[in-house]
Amino acid sequence: MPAIGQTNTKLTDPEIASVAVTANQIDIEYAQIAKKKSKNADVLKFAETMAKDHQAVIDQAVALVTKLGVTPKDNATTKAFLAGAVKTKAMLNSKKGGAFDKAYIDNEVAYHKAAINEVENVLIPDATNSEVKSLLQSAVPLFKTHLAHAEMVQKEFNK
Amino acid sequence: MANKHSILKNSAYILCFIFLLNSCTSTPKEAVHKLYNVEIKGMQFQPAELTLQKGDTVIWTNHDIVTHDVTEEKSKEWTSGPLAPGQSWSLVVTKSADYYCSIHVVMKGKLIVQ
Repeated sequence: MPAIGQTNTKLTDPEIASVAVTANQIDIEYAQIAKKKSKNADVLKFAETMAKDHQAVIDQAVALVTKLGVTPKDNATTKAFLAGAVKTKAMLNSKKGGAFDKAYIDNEVAYHKAAINEVENVLIPDATNSEVKSLLQSAVPLFKTHLAHAEMVQKEFNK
Repeated sequence: MANKHSILKNSAYILCFIFLLNSCTSTPKEAVHKLYNVEIKGMQFQPAELTLQKGDTVIWTNHDIVTHDVTEEKSKEWTSGPLAPGQSWSLVVTKSADYYCSIHVVMKGKLIVQ
């Protein structure tokens, strides 16, 4: 998992936009790996939902920053997410069969927990624009639903 | 006087005719069915549980930013198909059912027909 939220510096709205788009894009990339490697119907269905939902969040975020004239700005949190993703993708690509399915779902549980924590405790408090804050707030129940779905699939692997 | 009787007689005929005509053309009285709205919002069906009468209609509207569906859970007896943000779907309810979003399987709702 990426070591995120390491600095105490408050994130600006352009930095928040960068973190939001990056974090969603990373989960789409994990889903793309799952769609290539898995044969498990529950895993494939979950991955399909992740790819579509996180793309919908990115589309909303891009539409909002375009409307606000905000250019997403790279920052330490974005870099931490990306560094973690490189390691995770390498780990996922090294596995196959049931071991891959379990690794993918375990990572989805951990990733969504980390993302929810980041959104609730860093991005929402730091956001200054009300529309940016509102979009982040609307993403929280979505990510919590993804987490519950991932935990449900995870239980199947732990039986 | 005879003329007055004739007017009353004709009026009675006309009233009878109107009554008979009305009886023939009016439809049988039907039960009044209600319309219920369920908002899909914040990854929840709101309200999640509805108690209604057979023949009532439920309209689900997706207010979220992602696509949902409304699907009977036990045997997939009915489904809305994908509901994009802003789209609605209605169902005339004939029996109680547990339903869910087959895309986000932890989202659940219940229809209770009394």
